[in-house]
Amino acid sequence: MTTLQPTIPARSVRSRLGGLTRSTPAYITVALVALVVVFSLISPEWRFLDATNLQAIGRNSAGLVLLAVGLTFVLGAGHIDLSVGATLVLSSVVAGTVAVRLAGEPSAAGTFPNAGLALVIAALAAVVVGGVAGLINGVLVTRLKVNSFVVTLGTMGVATGAAQVLTNGANVAGIPPAVQTSFGLNTVAGIPLPLVLAVVISLLAGVVLTQTSAGRHALAIGSSADGARRAGVNVQRSTIVVFVISGLMAGLAGFLDISRFGTTAISGHSTTMLQALSAVIIGGTSLFGGRASVPGSVIATFIPTVLLAGFVMVGVSSFYQNIAIGVVLIIAVWLDQLRGK
Amino acid sequence: MTDRRPPVLRASGLAKSFGHVEALRQGELTVHAGEVVALVGDNGAGKSTLISCVSGALLPDAGEVSVEGRPMPLGSIRAAMEYGIATVYQGLAMAPDLSVAENLFLSCELRRPGLLGRLGLLDKKAMRERAWQLMDGLGITTLQDVTLPVGDLSGGQRQVVAVARAVSRAGRLVIMDEPTAALGTRQSQMVIETIKATRDRGLGVVLISHDLPRVLQVADRIVIMRLGRVVADLAASGLKINQIVALMLGEQDNDREESLPA
Repeated sequence: MTTLQPTIPARSVRSRLGGLTRSTPAYITVALVALVVVFSLISPEWRFLDATNLQAIGRNSAGLVLLAVGLTFVLGAGHIDLSVGATLVLSSVVAGTVAVRLAGEPSAAGTFPNAGLALVIAALAAVVVGGVAGLINGVLVTRLKVNSFVVTLGTMGVATGAAQVLTNGANVAGIPPAVQTSFGLNTVAGIPLPLVLAVVISLLAGVVLTQTSAGRHALAIGSSADGARRAGVNVQRSTIVVFVISGLMAGLAGFLDISRFGTTAISGHSTTMLQALSAVIIGGTSLFGGRASVPGSVIATFIPTVLLAGFVMVGVSSFYQNIAIGVVLIIAVWLDQLRGK
Repeated sequence: MTDRRPPVLRASGLAKSFGHVEALRQGELTVHAGEVVALVGDNGAGKSTLISCVSGALLPDAGEVSVEGRPMPLGSIRAAMEYGIATVYQGLAMAPDLSVAENLFLSCELRRPGLLGRLGLLDKKAMRERAWQLMDGLGITTLQDVTLPVGDLSGGQRQVVAVARAVSRAGRLVIMDEPTAALGTRQSQMVIETIKATRDRGLGVVLISHDLPRVLQVADRIVIMRLGRVVADLAASGLKINQIVALMLGEQDNDREESLPA
């Protein structure tokens, strides 16, 4: 259309020569594959690659994947949601309670008369609780104009406390085991069902982020809220939407949590939000908004779970996982900044 | 240029205070179709406040705005856009992480035809091609890639993107707040040509600029503001720069001699 002139910034040439050199998901994938190869080589008899081990990694990652996908939207829009772990716990407690109430009295054989319907309603309840929590976050951030760090730090406490109040701090027992046998521990083509669900939702979320106005407006307000507003973007609505997405993801992750353990894990999620947040940032989403990658977040989610499984398998204390993730986080952001220059 | 239809824009009695500061006391502005009105005044005269009230970016404390005779809801950028008003803001209004094409279509995205479009999927290819045509139409030859983030562009290039966006969106009126401030001579001239082309398409143009020689080159009418009020509304032809400056500064006797080329 036009002749080339020497005024093009060098970056555009590079990005056209190979989007891969600038694509964080590509880097993360290479790192993840490298981790898998290393653990496979040093694990006894290649046991790291056993189906059971890989399935366990997949199951353990599914909920984290959903949290990371939700946080990708929030960070992309220039906000933060510290409440996702607490929302997960609250949703799982509500879902567990609903399942126990609706499932009826178990028979002598331990089967519940209404297990199927009870679990479906429990799953819906988890998603609704998450969505409402997200809506509250979004409305507080946009209407009170309080910084999202502060708002979600507050709602994190509220959600955690509400979960403890509901059950007096105890985990919900007596959930129909069908939640594990027919969903949580089930597989299709060898892939854990919760992971399949998480991946399908991630694909949809990726389309929403990159191919719809909702996603584009989220990134626009993350890049410059004032610029987006003046360009005609409804900043309040877009902001609420990203928090609702994050809440919905946390709610569904709450149900996955029950399906994984057969009960709730109220005190088992103190670092879940930080793990998801680390994955999102490692995956190339800017902490300051404007740039976000759903595939990057999803792939990066597997780094902590692979590290943990690998350390356990080769006999390194799992405590080292936290150290390793901390180091990976800093290196990833540093590399990202180098490439951004 | 006499009245044929109701004016594209009629703003009257606009007032806006920020705390104790009365930025705008009596904002009056009328623009007809196919007319370029220059809004001039010293810093703090209330020019930007006036146009922000018209563009929906600010909610005035008093006053009204009508577009082709229809009263426009105030304080809503979207409402102003729906009434056919598009604005180039001082300091732009771009999302630096988004590409040129994405910024050009921000909040007015094109969707794919058919079912996919109804599901909300964007037609990125069409937007890129239309972006190319827009930039080409403005004679922008230094910008090679509409997929480049706006943050990677030079100040001048960004300005040109902002102008292109406003001109492509406006159905009735384009407001430009210092559109040539960051530009070199050649690019400034390009923006002036764009303003003329926009006027020739039958749109109204409001131009804020400190560059009085260029203002006189393109404007049909000059509206002069001082201390939050419109103090003069004059046909541009035959006006001298020193007359404008005197009115801007509120000097009654015309004792300053300037020999700037008109």
